[in-house]
Amino acid sequence: MAGILSGASRWLTEPVPRGRVAAFRTLVYLFVAADLVVFTPWVRTHGSVPGELYQPLLIGRLLPLPTPTPLLVNGIFWALLVLSLAAVTGRAPRALGWAVFLLYFEWMIIAMSYGKVDHDRFGFLVALAVLPTAGRARHGDRTLTEAGGWALRVTQIAVVCTYFLAAWAKLRFGGPGWMVGSVLARAIIRRGTELADLIAQVPHLLIAAQFGIIAFELLSPLVFVVPARWRLAVVGFFYSFHVVTIATITISFAPHLVAMTSFLPLERVRPVEWCRRPLRQHATPAVDGEPVAGREPAVPQAPAAGAGPVAAPPAADSAATPAVEAAPAPVVGDVPPAGAAAVP
Amino acid sequence: MVHPMDTLTRRGRAVRVLGTVLAAALLLAGTLWGQDDDFPFGPFRMYAGSNPPNDPAPDTRVEGVDTTGAMVPLDEASTGIRRAEIEGQQGRYAADPALLREVADAYAQRHPAAPALVEVRIVIRWYDIQGGRPTGRSSDETVVSWRAS
Repeated sequence: MAGILSGASRWLTEPVPRGRVAAFRTLVYLFVAADLVVFTPWVRTHGSVPGELYQPLLIGRLLPLPTPTPLLVNGIFWALLVLSLAAVTGRAPRALGWAVFLLYFEWMIIAMSYGKVDHDRFGFLVALAVLPTAGRARHGDRTLTEAGGWALRVTQIAVVCTYFLAAWAKLRFGGPGWMVGSVLARAIIRRGTELADLIAQVPHLLIAAQFGIIAFELLSPLVFVVPARWRLAVVGFFYSFHVVTIATITISFAPHLVAMTSFLPLERVRPVEWCRRPLRQHATPAVDGEPVAGREPAVPQAPAAGAGPVAAPPAADSAATPAVEAAPAPVVGDVPPAGAAAVP
Repeated sequence: MVHPMDTLTRRGRAVRVLGTVLAAALLLAGTLWGQDDDFPFGPFRMYAGSNPPNDPAPDTRVEGVDTTGAMVPLDEASTGIRRAEIEGQQGRYAADPALLREVADAYAQRHPAAPALVEVRIVIRWYDIQGGRPTGRSSDETVVSWRAS
């Protein structure tokens, strides 16, 4: 029993590189800003909807949160926009992280308190709730972190719960008859695209799709037990499911898709680094007219003065990781003392 | 290649495991017994309702008539109220049609120069479905209406 518990606790806090936490953090806080202005701009309109139509959720009644007014809604909107963009930088991860989480949570309560609750962001809310606990993390840092590993793991669990428990809810509210009912036909009528209208004409296809959805949702936890080399393919399948729902019934689940990146080796995605590298190469003229091969790493960041043009070979286990090139090992003491560098 | 690692303290690990178990228990309880009201721990009931394969599908809209007699669509863009929010509170509107005045107020707030609304109604277009597939036939039903007196 003790063995199982400690195994579970080790799995929950399986370490990940800090660079992955940094990349996930940047993506999540960027999405908060994008959500405010692009994905769910309608939340802001609730400021001008008469308070009579506000039907606070349980949490809004317990706390108790005030009835939204234009001042409250606009105040949260601007504070959240500024703080989330500040949090994108990764600075003050605790203070900014908690502030963004609390404001975004209240923003969502305002969103859902007028008669319709959306179910597309449980994983995203979990990500916002745990990121402040993941500690400092710099982009490209390969130091492993258990706190960061836990933050990503519980986000993954929340994402999978969104699927698995949705199947459970279908069986609870719709019953087994859900699979042979007309739920997809209804969805297509209410918000279907032309593609969906075409699909709806195929006999039995919508019913088959309903069986498929339940099977996929019930089997989704397998993503945690499949061999690591298949895991990305399974996550790719999850994404493809959402591509189809966007293309047919225009439901994006955007925040869920962002939370699902917690499964991905995000530390390999370094857009800023990729942009900087050509600039740096451009700024450093090639010695002896020998052009530097495009795929070779750029000049190390802290070359020893007067040392020869020693190109650090990429680490064997990271050939596909552009991050390493600009990321000197963060360990204190790794850098030789100034005097030592002059030794030929 | 071995990388350095930040490890958790015993307490840090215990707090995280406890938090995970607590949140999971709340979510599980919400799925088993909860409702949307329990957000964010309510059941994931998107498209969870079941309809017999030949039940017509409702497509709800809100429309108003202004002082000039023109028909005005009262959608999310013109009132700030989403269609699903109208449907979610349809029982309240049906019990007290005068509540539709709030929808007219929301419209007036966003269109101060527009002629006032004298009538607001919730209309459902019922689309016919046979064997789980839409047939293309439909009919309109006004379920709630309010007239300024």
